Amino acid sequence: MATETALVDVGILFTAVALAGVLSSRIDQSVIPFYIVTGVLLGSNVLGELPTLAGSEIGIGGFAVTVPEIAVGGVDLLAALGGLALGETDFIVVGAEIGIVLLLFFLGLEFNLNRLIASKDRIGKAGSIDLAINFGIGLIFGYFVFGSFLAAFLTAGIVYISSSAIITKSLIDLGWIANDESEPMLGTLVYEDLFIAVYLAIVSALVLGGGDIGDATGQIAVAIGVILALLALVTYGTGTFQRFLDAETNEFVVVRALGVTILVAGIALALGVSEAVAAFFVGMAFSATDHVHDLERLLEPLRDAFAAIFFFWIGLVTDPGLFTLPILGIIVAGVIVTTPTKIVSGYLGGRIYDLDDRRSLRVGFGMATRGEFSLIIASLVLSGAGTGIAAGTATDLYAFAVGYVLVMSILGTSLMQYSSRIEPVAVSLLERRRAGATRPPND
Amino acid sequence: MTVYESDLPGVGKKFEVELEDGERLVIVTHNTGKREVYLKPDADADSEKIFEASDRLARKIGTILEGAYFQPVQAEQVETMLSDDTYLEWYGVAESAEIAGQSLSEANIRGRTGVSIVAIQRGEELISPPTPETVLEVGDTLVVIGDREDCAQFENLLGAGLEE
Repeated sequence: MATETALVDVGILFTAVALAGVLSSRIDQSVIPFYIVTGVLLGSNVLGELPTLAGSEIGIGGFAVTVPEIAVGGVDLLAALGGLALGETDFIVVGAEIGIVLLLFFLGLEFNLNRLIASKDRIGKAGSIDLAINFGIGLIFGYFVFGSFLAAFLTAGIVYISSSAIITKSLIDLGWIANDESEPMLGTLVYEDLFIAVYLAIVSALVLGGGDIGDATGQIAVAIGVILALLALVTYGTGTFQRFLDAETNEFVVVRALGVTILVAGIALALGVSEAVAAFFVGMAFSATDHVHDLERLLEPLRDAFAAIFFFWIGLVTDPGLFTLPILGIIVAGVIVTTPTKIVSGYLGGRIYDLDDRRSLRVGFGMATRGEFSLIIASLVLSGAGTGIAAGTATDLYAFAVGYVLVMSILGTSLMQYSSRIEPVAVSLLERRRAGATRPPND
Repeated sequence: MTVYESDLPGVGKKFEVELEDGERLVIVTHNTGKREVYLKPDADADSEKIFEASDRLARKIGTILEGAYFQPVQAEQVETMLSDDTYLEWYGVAESAEIAGQSLSEANIRGRTGVSIVAIQRGEELISPPTPETVLEVGDTLVVIGDREDCAQFENLLGAGLEE
């Protein structure tokens, strides 16, 4: 592909994403679903009108299948429009990869073990309830629908992990951040983030290593070795990282941090370990230095730009044709089953923090939002298609994850926005149910 | 006067200050340096956002609240506690002050009282840190650090020249 076309393509990508962002902020919604839909629309499956590309043939991190450009020679407007369609170029694939790496790097950077230990009782209780209810339901639902243990395990991850990015942003936008409900929400997110780092390490070994435990043993051994090495890095590397980042200019700080993070993530991926997990540990290693705030400030715009490419890519490799009636049915069923579970687990988490009914409900409404991490699991499913998971199952699971996140990100954000209208009804219902119960109502 | 502090993972820190009449002032300090200030009519109410300020502006507002520019209460010094017994205080130099017109080395303030002068505000200008050659002038505001006893001695040194 000629450089100029490639440059135009990247320009189209960012312009489209920017327009999607404008639209989402107009109607007060999270940007993530808009980025995904933009990707779907600009992809070869909609705009390109090319023969459908089975998403399962494309592995992230591997070689990208470049969709051949449509010749824009005719006067035909459709053909000309089709020429604007974006293929899955190397830039987009690697950009999406960097997006995943930076998202998890930030998770590690903001992850504070001491803080977790300091409030381990409440976070531990609220987080464990959240895990038991949602991961449990996910396992049952996944096994019931897809019929294999690995698919069930992946489904459980997809429906369990709430969206740190969307929830934190909504908390700030709605002003809930200054209220009592922000603590159980953010605390539970910390628990989830730690769990998902461990989960990704296990599940990527299973998915990339052949699916069943026997074949994956060697892969898991390598994964454990790499993770132990990374843990050693976190434990003993702080001083080194500290000196490493003692740079005079912002430029050096950014370049050095990116160098280490992406290199370690890349090496991990080459060894068959989840790059996301490696990035999480590198972030954790940096979190003990005095440069945390600098890194957050300097890398945040980069993270957001690459994360946008990641969400766009998710849409790009999604063929709308995947959303067959049965898949749509599974998505609807998933939403119906897993929205109440999050509301219940969030409510119970709020009660652990001694909040009243109204605020505990808010915790539940907020936690219902799923987003970036469910999609990271979905991208893992794609890359394991045909090796760890049967290609057909992988495609279905991927389509379910994308559709599910599209619904849950919008539904969760809306629940938070309209919470003040739903609360009175829900609270009076709760109180009516409790009338005559042994527990006195809290006012 | 209770202040509740809590961590907001991924966001920053939250401080809740109990006000006189049961209201609560909530200050959210973001990791980015931004401050958001909310008011809660009571402990259980929802927070209403009053304003937000950048790091610099927030410090400015904080200094005004601290009384660095104007002290309505005559009798008391502006004081900021840095730790259990270290104060950051502001003193004015009046015409009758013995040290007015002397350089810092001549006045030997640290030797005589134990406080350190960390900065001198002179009109629009801020001299920080002052050198031993810096001459103290009438109308200067001296920013000093010291423990309670040293500050008291310094007040005695300024004597009648203490500008309220």
